[in-house]
Amino acid sequence: MPPKKRIFQRKRVCRFCTDSEMIIDYKDVKVLRNFVTERGKIIPRRIFGTCASHQRQVCEAIKRARQIALLPYSGNTPR
Amino acid sequence: MRRYETIYILRPTLGDDEITKIIDNTNAILSTDGGGIISIDKWGLRKLAYLIKKESNGYYVFCDYATDPANVTEMERKFRIDESIMKYMTLKTSDSIDSEGIEAARNEYEAAKVAAEEAEAEQEKEEQSSDTTETAESKKEEKTETAEKSGE
Repeated sequence: MPPKKRIFQRKRVCRFCTDSEMIIDYKDVKVLRNFVTERGKIIPRRIFGTCASHQRQVCEAIKRARQIALLPYSGNTPR
Repeated sequence: MRRYETIYILRPTLGDDEITKIIDNTNAILSTDGGGIISIDKWGLRKLAYLIKKESNGYYVFCDYATDPANVTEMERKFRIDESIMKYMTLKTSDSIDSEGIEAARNEYEAAKVAAEEAEAEQEKEEQSSDTTETAESKKEEKTETAEKSGE
């Protein structure tokens, strides 16, 4: 009998739900940079585990930051 | 009256006089008909995430205010004409605000500013105090070393 395939799963919790002091704001680029890849794409929530409502807010904030050139649409995120 | 916030990016080649002139002009437009500026923040020169009008840097100005929608459209019309403004973005943060609300928001902003300054000052103090203790310790060490040497 083949060994049961065990998929490593870490329990993920939403960062914003656990830490109520973290506020999602499009002006706060330092926080938002954690939620985009090096290429500037928004990281899906299946990877970070943010809850649906917070992911929506993050998404909105990133798109606003892109409009005013705080974050890139594509290409290297300046760090 | 509605509450908005606007970020506009000025060309990095402008002098201080021109920057203050633009800011004053926009504030004058927004303050007509009972509108009021709640806060104005010059973020200064920043690197842009992408090129805007062939510039890689920009002078950011953030403005929080309460005014009528007509004033906002007027301001944006002026922005589009003015060559020195590369990009702007306006967001509505509240649907209705009265003069009391403006005053309260101003006080809030001032309080937050003071708190931030105090926190910064405290941090600096801590750093300085830690530095002084370190130097004192190192001096002590030096003294003991010299004492040992003299003993030998």
